[in-house]
Amino acid sequence: MTLQIQNLGRHVGQQWIVRHLNLHVEDGECVALVGPSGCGKSSTLRLIAGLDPVSEGEIILNQKNISHVSASQRAVGMVFQSYALLPHLSVFANLELGLRVRGVRPSDRQQRIQAMLELVQLQDRADVLPAQLSGGQRQRVALARALLRDPDVYLLDEPMSNLDAQLREELRPELRRLVLDRHKPVIHVTHDQHEAMAIADRIAVLHSGRIQQVATPTDLYHLPETLFIAKFIGRPQINCLRPKDGVITAVRPESLFFAKEGLPCKLMSREWLGSSQLLYLESPEGSLRLSCSTSVDIPESLIVSWHRSDEHYFDEDSGRRL
Amino acid sequence: MNRRSLVGLLLLWSLGPLLWQVYTSFCSDQALIQPFVSHDQRWTLIHYQSVLNANPPFWRYLVNSLIVGISSTFLCLLLALPAAYALNRIPRQLSALSRLALVGAALFPYVLLFLALLELARALNLGNQLLALSLPYAALSQPLAILLLNNAFNDLPPELEDAAKLEGLSLFQRFRWIFIPLISPATASTAILVFLFSWNEYPIALTWISDSSKLTLPVAMARIAGSSIYSVPYGAYAAATVLGSIPLVLLVLIFQKPIVSGLTSGAVKG
Amino acid sequence: MIIFLLLPALLLLLVVFVVPLFRYAWLSFHADSVITGLIAIPNGGANWLRLLQDLRYWQDLGQTLRFAGVSVGLELILALCIALLLDQRWRGRDVVRTLALIPWALPTTVMALGWRWIFNTPYGPIDHFTKIAGIGSLNILGDPNFAWIATVWADVWKTTPFAALILLAGLQTIPADLYEALRLEGGNALICLRRITLPLLRPYILLALLFRLAQSFGVFDLIQVLTGGGPASTTESIALYAYWNALRFLDFGYSSTIIMASFVLISLICVIAWIGLQVLIPTHPKSRGVIEL
Repeated sequence: MTLQIQNLGRHVGQQWIVRHLNLHVEDGECVALVGPSGCGKSSTLRLIAGLDPVSEGEIILNQKNISHVSASQRAVGMVFQSYALLPHLSVFANLELGLRVRGVRPSDRQQRIQAMLELVQLQDRADVLPAQLSGGQRQRVALARALLRDPDVYLLDEPMSNLDAQLREELRPELRRLVLDRHKPVIHVTHDQHEAMAIADRIAVLHSGRIQQVATPTDLYHLPETLFIAKFIGRPQINCLRPKDGVITAVRPESLFFAKEGLPCKLMSREWLGSSQLLYLESPEGSLRLSCSTSVDIPESLIVSWHRSDEHYFDEDSGRRL
Repeated sequence: MNRRSLVGLLLLWSLGPLLWQVYTSFCSDQALIQPFVSHDQRWTLIHYQSVLNANPPFWRYLVNSLIVGISSTFLCLLLALPAAYALNRIPRQLSALSRLALVGAALFPYVLLFLALLELARALNLGNQLLALSLPYAALSQPLAILLLNNAFNDLPPELEDAAKLEGLSLFQRFRWIFIPLISPATASTAILVFLFSWNEYPIALTWISDSSKLTLPVAMARIAGSSIYSVPYGAYAAATVLGSIPLVLLVLIFQKPIVSGLTSGAVKG
Repeated sequence: MIIFLLLPALLLLLVVFVVPLFRYAWLSFHADSVITGLIAIPNGGANWLRLLQDLRYWQDLGQTLRFAGVSVGLELILALCIALLLDQRWRGRDVVRTLALIPWALPTTVMALGWRWIFNTPYGPIDHFTKIAGIGSLNILGDPNFAWIATVWADVWKTTPFAALILLAGLQTIPADLYEALRLEGGNALICLRRITLPLLRPYILLALLFRLAQSFGVFDLIQVLTGGGPASTTESIALYAYWNALRFLDFGYSSTIIMASFVLISLICVIAWIGLQVLIPTHPKSRGVIEL
């Protein structure tokens, strides 16, 4: 089973929210959609789910065009940022509702929900209301509901953004185990690039409703196709030198090193990050960020350099890679 | 003036007239005419007996009002619930305009509609039928009911419906499993306000119903008043006032919360 | 699909609110009375000409405006006081809130009858009181100077709780730190009321004002039961006059004309009141519109 999106677009009034979107997701592959807020990543997900009408283009699931099929007929499993659990129903009843309206027999429902609750390790919380669960537990119930649907494609809309950082790290392997092993296409929307890099096989970067690049996390990091992606992916942010002849040269903070010859800099401030430290430098080429090991002593004035092979070049006007 | 006396004054102002009716209803006619003279027979239940044994008996009006109140409330909610939901799913400008029109209709002094509604009742032969009254009542309550319920729909997180759609729930199933249970507080508030309106409505009931066994409470009371201006049986009056007030006083005491939340949510977002 | 959910309610609203207005407008240019055998015959602007020359109509209009203006004004002032009292925290407040709501919930005709007894001469409590106080019997409902005051009194009693509740809802939206900040600058209670409470309450006052103004302009139940429009039509309201014309004189054409004129007038009054209030109450940067468009 594969999900193919061809030239997908949606506009409201005169404004295009998503346009010219092409994406191909294989079985068992997880593609992360990342981008700044308002870039259209959630809108894309809603288009695939069938919650918003498609203005142009096609969504093809298993060689079948589902662009104009209603949401309830699409066999889509979605996990929402807010989890969207019904507050007046118990965990069990929340999971049961979909099975019930799809005509599953009561004894079957019982059995399948029990099995699912065990899978997400909530077997003892079946009769509890969502409000009595912790954030992580609620997220697992929402996930369980999507899994019970046994969909042809999984859509995860910022499923972990309401959880604290530690819990997110704990849940990532669980998400992999539960969803990615199902051998279905998975699209994961997130604003957290670490999460995207940790989970996704490929990452699609959206900007103003258009995909700028789809690539593996490594390629995206080392060969960003636009200046926007170079700046968006990787923290601390990439350094951009003064443009020369319409070309912007960019170097990652970790590619900079101290040298005898090179760019003379003045230390402005420093941040200690535990395993590394981040230096804010002022140079004739503009301000720079440099990350290095914490064991190094830093003088007030220093000279930095980098390998030419670590340089990225972008066109000043179009922002495209040269 | 301190707070205690202000509160006392407020309660005296609000409840005094009602308590005076209670007092009057238990006084014998002699005591009513000469309140400061001592009488052998000051207290009596005779007024209640005469009201309850009249023809038709007083409880008939209560039952009539109850029938009209319940059927109007039911009809009103049946129409207002889908409309309130749909109001969020039409183009935004149209929806804003509709809400404004509904506010206007809710403010409108509906008394002025009596003549056209009377013509309607005559044309459709709806006069002297209790259940037919629920038609204008449900209609006149629609603006407020739709606005209140629409507020409640607006307060629901939209993802709940999205998730339900993906689970395959039809529109009817979404109402059954999600909307009806989740907006039940607002529905209760609306229902009580609609019921109060129907119970208290006068001009339309006055013009639609003439058969004395089918009168609603407000019309029956006014009819007693209209019987004669000078020699009115005030003791019986007061007994009728007290009997007619008891259901509503109870209603307010029991449903104070939903009534207040209904009125105020209408105000806040109206 | 969506349209089918809206359609039933929309149809009912059209039939009850929109169709009547067109019907009135149409009827107001027709003779439709016992004389014509209750058949509508076009008579040009005769109804409207008659309205212009109808002294009783103009007298009723003046009386209705007096009733609406005085009772809504009193109501709002009283409601603001009650809301301020009920907004503070004290023991038993919730019980008092509920009890104070009772007059609003009772059927108007039921309590109008009650008031008729209270204002009764010579057996009502008011009459007893004035006699004891040495003023003598006032014959309240029989005296044109007092009868209209009695109607205002009963109306204020009945509808103040509603206005108070709306204003109370508004008061509860005002954050306490606004008052604290002004107090720190040395503002007293009166300045707080003028600079914070009233401006932030403006949309709520507006709502209560418009609603009550429209409703009291159409006053009917209360007057019909309490005074029957008397003595000598001095408390008669426009709605009552329209009702007499339709049901007693069976002149539907003229009754429609009165109603149509009232509809235009009440719309005008509401617009004027709205603008007037905007001018009267100062704005506050934090006050935002409920129905202030």
